[in-house]
Amino acid sequence: MAQEYPLDPKWYEIIGEIGSGVSAMVYKAKCLKISAPNSSSIVAIKSIDLDQSRADLESIRLETKTMSLLSHPNILRAHCSFTVGRRLWVVMPFMSSGSLQSIISSNFSSGLPEPCIAVVLKETLKALSYLHDQGHVHRDVKAGNILVGYDGVVKLGDFGVSAPVYDINFDSRLKEIAGTPYWMAPEVIHSHNGYGFKADIWSFGITALELAHGRPPLSHLPPSKSLLFKITKRFRFSDYDNESSDNTRKHNTRKFSKAFKDMVGLCLHQDPTKRPTADKLLKHVFFKNSKSCDFLVKNLLVGLPSVEERFKMSNYNSNNNKMIRVSNSSLGSSSYNSSTTTPTIEEDETGVFEKQRRVSGWNFNFDGFQMEPVYPLGLGQGHPDGSKRVRFRAELVIPNKRVDLDVFSSSSASPSPAFSTPTEEQEAVVRVEEDPYLDPDPDPEGEEGVVDRGSVMCGLVALRGSLDDQRKNVKELISFLGGEQSLGGETKEEQMVDVVERLRGELEQERRKNKELLMELEFLKVIVSGGPQDD
Amino acid sequence: MKGLFKSKPRTPAEIVRLTRDLLVQFDMDTIRESKRDEKMVELSKHIRELKCILYGNSESEPVAEACMQLTQEFFKENTLRLVINCIPKLNLEARKDATQIVANLQRQQVQCRLVASDYLERNIDLMDILMTGYENTDMSLHYGSMLRECIRHQVVAKYVLESEHLKKFFEFIQLPNFDIAADAAATFKELLTRHKSTVAEFLSKNYDWFFAEYNSKLLESSNYITRRQAVKLLGDMLLDRSNAATMTKYVSSRDNLRILMNLLRESSKTIQIEAFHVFKLFAANQNKPADITNILVANKSKLLRLLGELKTDKEDEQFDADKAQVMQEIASLEPKELA
Repeated sequence: MAQEYPLDPKWYEIIGEIGSGVSAMVYKAKCLKISAPNSSSIVAIKSIDLDQSRADLESIRLETKTMSLLSHPNILRAHCSFTVGRRLWVVMPFMSSGSLQSIISSNFSSGLPEPCIAVVLKETLKALSYLHDQGHVHRDVKAGNILVGYDGVVKLGDFGVSAPVYDINFDSRLKEIAGTPYWMAPEVIHSHNGYGFKADIWSFGITALELAHGRPPLSHLPPSKSLLFKITKRFRFSDYDNESSDNTRKHNTRKFSKAFKDMVGLCLHQDPTKRPTADKLLKHVFFKNSKSCDFLVKNLLVGLPSVEERFKMSNYNSNNNKMIRVSNSSLGSSSYNSSTTTPTIEEDETGVFEKQRRVSGWNFNFDGFQMEPVYPLGLGQGHPDGSKRVRFRAELVIPNKRVDLDVFSSSSASPSPAFSTPTEEQEAVVRVEEDPYLDPDPDPEGEEGVVDRGSVMCGLVALRGSLDDQRKNVKELISFLGGEQSLGGETKEEQMVDVVERLRGELEQERRKNKELLMELEFLKVIVSGGPQDD
Repeated sequence: MKGLFKSKPRTPAEIVRLTRDLLVQFDMDTIRESKRDEKMVELSKHIRELKCILYGNSESEPVAEACMQLTQEFFKENTLRLVINCIPKLNLEARKDATQIVANLQRQQVQCRLVASDYLERNIDLMDILMTGYENTDMSLHYGSMLRECIRHQVVAKYVLESEHLKKFFEFIQLPNFDIAADAAATFKELLTRHKSTVAEFLSKNYDWFFAEYNSKLLESSNYITRRQAVKLLGDMLLDRSNAATMTKYVSSRDNLRILMNLLRESSKTIQIEAFHVFKLFAANQNKPADITNILVANKSKLLRLLGELKTDKEDEQFDADKAQVMQEIASLEPKELA
């Protein structure tokens, strides 16, 4: 190694903060030992609080080890890492243009020009191809993890999931689910057999959409909702339609080449085995005449605020958003990511639910260049929608005992081929439940506005009942018709819906308990603080 | 491109032989400078092929028969020594492949025997070479991984434990380079926890010097990570039934108690919780020596307050129960006359 970076904090002078998360910070710093007036004396330092970090030392060890054993021009490799008190400092090359996510939110809010996208994706794909060849899965491919240097060099960063690098807009708590919801492949959410290489390809496809439209599909929903939606697959959605109509038109009028759409379509195939490998994708015609990194310098990086400035801006914005979120939830209404889109979404959701149609999967809409839902053929008419709605409003006693989750044991004997084990299913749902942003209020007919929790619970219980009935009906119908082909995955989904509803109910109860306890605490505080004054 | 149309694929044993021939040439430095790059490419290719046989690739799973042939041929001669010697001469990708091959071979059986174990028993000095990895930044992660795989075999672990190498771990664990220090710590832990009977025997024979070093260098280190890992490992060792004798001895020493009480007072919660798991053994000991009792009595109120405030992040019934028991024990203690 030509340049040894010192393993002592005294040799680094912190210049400014460029990223932050729950247990990690990222700084821009100058290495004082590297005297030559070249750019490599400027570094990025990721500082992880080891005492707070959820990850245990063993996984941090494996992550930094993996990182230091990788060597590829498109992968961000650490110079070195050492501990400073309770913190682990990972010293990395400073990528002066920051992440694509931050470039987009600063200068290209409605997406990048297609030739730029091609360069970025091609470089990213080279990194993925190398990683996969090495037997590693990245698990968190997204624009926030694709970094650009001053010279237009593109590198894939943030290997591992313990803390974010340069990724400033998304709450890192989400990373506990290994990956960030919007970009996660369906099979990752549905089963926990773990990530395959093909899950990275899916995330890569979502990243392509993110670069094209300025944000990932579904991102108008709080992160956990995106997960839930994918799991239940029962709501109609078309992400970019949910924008206010002006924006939508602007998006839709943008033209993308057939090659680009075709490439993304291949990545977003529902069946992981049908998605191409990274190697194969590199040969796709979309990348054939892709430009050089200089092209990015001229077309992407001109007039870009510095990483530090962008970090300050985004911090300011996200603080504002957080405040809005808090005020929303304290009012008892649902908490959405951004205040401006809230009315549209609620309206939309309500309207959508009226249709009561099931979605059997997501298709990539080739012409619209978006993800769109798939409705099962022929079944729509068979659904007893009317009865469901009546049942929904029926009064039911809230069961205060947790209902046994073992609903799968009976049905796992069913011939459904794509069945995962009960524990996996539960795990999947429980993970979702842990999410701090989980919106416990699934109120599908929210047109009345604020609904109290009791009635929501009733609604949930009723919904569960009706789902059970529905499943029975559908099963009967299937056996009556003697056909099972199209429904392999459906029973599984129904189970998921079931469990999700039940867990929501439980969460709701927990929240109420929590609220009561908080009140009690407040009360006690008042008493305690009042005490000495009286004396 | 001439390899493209080869009709017969090579057998695993043939690839092992080709690899070995090249390794010999690199090891002896008998290759002309002009041929060097070419031969290195060839060697890297063979190493990659061996890895694919053992691990499979995206198209195929490994085949047991092929793995067996490979293993047999590999250990028939001194291939492992050649690989270890030549690692510094290989490029990064070949080094990683070779490390994975060595790791995998430790688990391969031929006629129900772990041939690697037999081989290492005869070539135990290879561990001395692997140990030098921790002194060399470029080699540490490769040699470190290999070493950790080799000590899966009891004979090898016993050798490393009883050699002078063990003392070096107290230094390696605290090296400033996190990658190397963490790797050394992982190996150290493996050495002291994997083979129960070997560890128990080692600890009772080497109690005095080992725990003197352990306390002063690790538990009282100024390095947060070192203290955190050391107190965790201490708990793992003492709570293991096979180390009961060592545990009894450890919790009868007032010096040890003092160190643990200091760790219990740390500002880091992670360390506090781990320290509690060792501290509880002092309190729960039914035959506490008088001086231990008296220290606990003298610090009764402080300890009870401290323990009362100590809580795990997630609910942990076992921890809560242990804590209640320890607090009860301490609360009921009366001073004892020193013998």
